[in-house]
Amino acid sequence: MKRLKEDAQSAGNILLEVGSLLMSSGASTHRTRLTMERIAKGLGYGIELLITQRALMLTIIEKEQEHFFSRMKRISPHGVNFRMVSGISHLSWNVLEDNWTIAQISDELKRLKSLPHYPRLVVLSLVGLAGAAFCHIFGGGYIEMAVAFVATFAGLFTRQEAHRLKFNPYLCVFFAAFVASLIAGLAEHFKIGLQPDKAVATSVLFLVPGVPLINSVTDLMDGNIQNGMVRAMNGLMIAFSIAMGLFAAKMILNF
Amino acid sequence: MILLDILSKSVWAGIAAIGFAILFNVPRRVIFPIWALGAIGGLIKFTAMYFGYGIVFASFLGATVIGIISIKMAHMRKSPPLVFSIPSVIPMVPGFFAYNMMLGLIALTSIENTEAYLQTLIETVNNGAKAMFILISLGIGVALPMLIMRKESIKKSKLAKAKKTVAG
Repeated sequence: MKRLKEDAQSAGNILLEVGSLLMSSGASTHRTRLTMERIAKGLGYGIELLITQRALMLTIIEKEQEHFFSRMKRISPHGVNFRMVSGISHLSWNVLEDNWTIAQISDELKRLKSLPHYPRLVVLSLVGLAGAAFCHIFGGGYIEMAVAFVATFAGLFTRQEAHRLKFNPYLCVFFAAFVASLIAGLAEHFKIGLQPDKAVATSVLFLVPGVPLINSVTDLMDGNIQNGMVRAMNGLMIAFSIAMGLFAAKMILNF
Repeated sequence: MILLDILSKSVWAGIAAIGFAILFNVPRRVIFPIWALGAIGGLIKFTAMYFGYGIVFASFLGATVIGIISIKMAHMRKSPPLVFSIPSVIPMVPGFFAYNMMLGLIALTSIENTEAYLQTLIETVNNGAKAMFILISLGIGVALPMLIMRKESIKKSKLAKAKKTVAG
């Protein structure tokens, strides 16, 4: 062995940290496994892994000494963060190729966690613009696009506020869908625009669970059937919450 | 005129992709590539639909091209492929069909007339099937290039490792 082995316990802890960050940031199961194995290899360990949606189980084996270290870690859902996925991918190659130490990895993780998100107003306006874009794709005119923009903006704002108040994540989606479709539905009620139904249909599209559903198909194709099913179910629950929000808004408007 | 329509829809598909990219907090250096990928995917999907292919196959084509380019982009811009591919295919997610299916299901709970019920049932099943198959084709379209290229990347990394140990 060329270099001194780090202590297996701290190596195990840092690996679990990396894995849980990846899973909660929206990486597929295969990518999480690959990255953890790459880092472990760079540190000079063999590992065995069990990855589920809400918990990680890791056994780390020192090859020459017959010691091993086992630990479980809960994964707390944070919401998709591709900056984290991208940063950890870099980190894993640095460990393998430049022989990074555990202290360096933990510093880099700290830096990645402290990286700022985009300013709230930028997020809100660009997602609103995405709502308007959907409306254009489905054949809406400029007035409908404006309605979709306002509805999406308000819907996302509601979702962020509900998240801040620590509501159940499906309830957050429900509130957002309700507000967005209520605003677009009011425009339909007062006959603003030529095809107001298009604005209603596209106002809730920003909530579509794209990451869970696409990752679900990726996982299923990789043979991680269990995680794929869990992700698909999660996506369906979100879709159901959107439907309930729409339903509630329609009930109120038809009353 | 139709060409202009397809082009403008593609550009807006790219803008929708950027919206989701910002929502998913992507690194700043990949925002423009995501816009381009979203627009290319949209261009391929709308062109295929113009030439009479069904929406499922058209979405599959668009997603596959996005999957292939995002692997190339991943090497160029040093980010994993999924960072590029997921925001770019989201504009193709069949939200409109899913929405119509949900409305249909809600309507089915309250319709009394048999004929109207059947009509709504047919439309609901049609929308639901479209939504499901488009989603599956998007997932497979994005995943397939990665599965095919994976062999190659493992080989490359093994080679690099072998070189390193020889040199060291």
